Amino acid sequence: MLILGIETAVEHVGVALGDHRGTLASATVNSDRRHAESLAPMIEFVCAQAGVTLRQLGAVAVDIGPGLFTGLRVGVAAAQSLAWAFDIPVVPMCSLDVLAHRMSRTEDDVVAAALDARRGEMYWAVYKPSDGRMTRLTEPVVTPPDDCAIHLAERDQYVTCVGSGFVRHQESFEALTRSTMRADEVTWPSIDDLLSLAGQRASREEWVEAHMVEPMYLRVPDAEINWATREGR
Amino acid sequence: MINARTTNVHQTEELAGAIASLARPRDIVVLSGEMGAGKTAFMRGFAAGIGVSPDETVSSPTFTLVHTYDTGKIVVHHADLYRLGRLSDVEDLGLRELADLGDVVVVEWGDVASDVLGDHLVVSLEADDDDEDTRQVTVSVAGHTWDSRWEQLKRALAKWGD
Repeated sequence: MLILGIETAVEHVGVALGDHRGTLASATVNSDRRHAESLAPMIEFVCAQAGVTLRQLGAVAVDIGPGLFTGLRVGVAAAQSLAWAFDIPVVPMCSLDVLAHRMSRTEDDVVAAALDARRGEMYWAVYKPSDGRMTRLTEPVVTPPDDCAIHLAERDQYVTCVGSGFVRHQESFEALTRSTMRADEVTWPSIDDLLSLAGQRASREEWVEAHMVEPMYLRVPDAEINWATREGR
Repeated sequence: MINARTTNVHQTEELAGAIASLARPRDIVVLSGEMGAGKTAFMRGFAAGIGVSPDETVSSPTFTLVHTYDTGKIVVHHADLYRLGRLSDVEDLGLRELADLGDVVVVEWGDVASDVLGDHLVVSLEADDDDEDTRQVTVSVAGHTWDSRWEQLKRALAKWGD
């Protein structure tokens, strides 16, 4: 099955096309927040390079975050549009899952994946690798880095750390023993990892209809805006 | 808190321009006030004060949710939450992120979602019962991003002192 992968949850934009043989074509652009302008031409480009048309797509995979809100919106909207237009499912991908996936062959007990969330916080989750597959041990959260450091210290296991969160907040993890920092090499979720993980999920039909896809923001608990208390609206 | 009074819409624009001249990248300004209180006029003055070209039409983003103006030096987003029903809708706009990344954001009706917005300046405009052109303007802050500019702001707004 031909899958189109879309990555807009971080500063760069990534697009890749692949099937059971692996990646057929991929492109990454350091977009400087120009996600909306970059994405459509990049999709066109990878399709042309791979010699396929969008009609041949079997599914579209998209990074739903957590990450950059403004980017997420662009990627999710594009994935939904393609899914609607060609009547294909969407494979929603968590950015931290994609990051952790690179370490699925690590010898360490667990993998911590973290992305910088700005304002002194980071998005993070902990995974257990086994047989080249990762199982989430904790759900993605947004917290100050110290909370993550305490969690990892209390776990008292050998941990591989990946992602921009560990680069940005390096000092919070200096005291962490039994850890392997790989964040400098594996800083961002890569489009190739996204596509390969999406391929695994698609083969198990772990996908949803377009309207079910929602960005993962994590920031605030949702609530109705209480306009009633605002007079004069 | 700073109290000021403007007696016509041009003064409101001028006052907004005075605030804009002290604005910095990453600022969020929340505008509160009833329909017709002068929020769009404030935005017009603010945009002009921060360097948006006079050729740009500043209008209310009530139906478009966010209007963006790029002066070449700084990007200003003008948002209106009036039509939104849930905090997740506000979050969808990613206003705080836009500010985090170095832009300036002005949010009409932002007071209903101040928790989502983080540190910000609050400008509230209130019509005067006795004079339909007069506006009572109150400026206050949430957080500390204006601490070092507060005295300057006071001086800048002194001519409309109440």
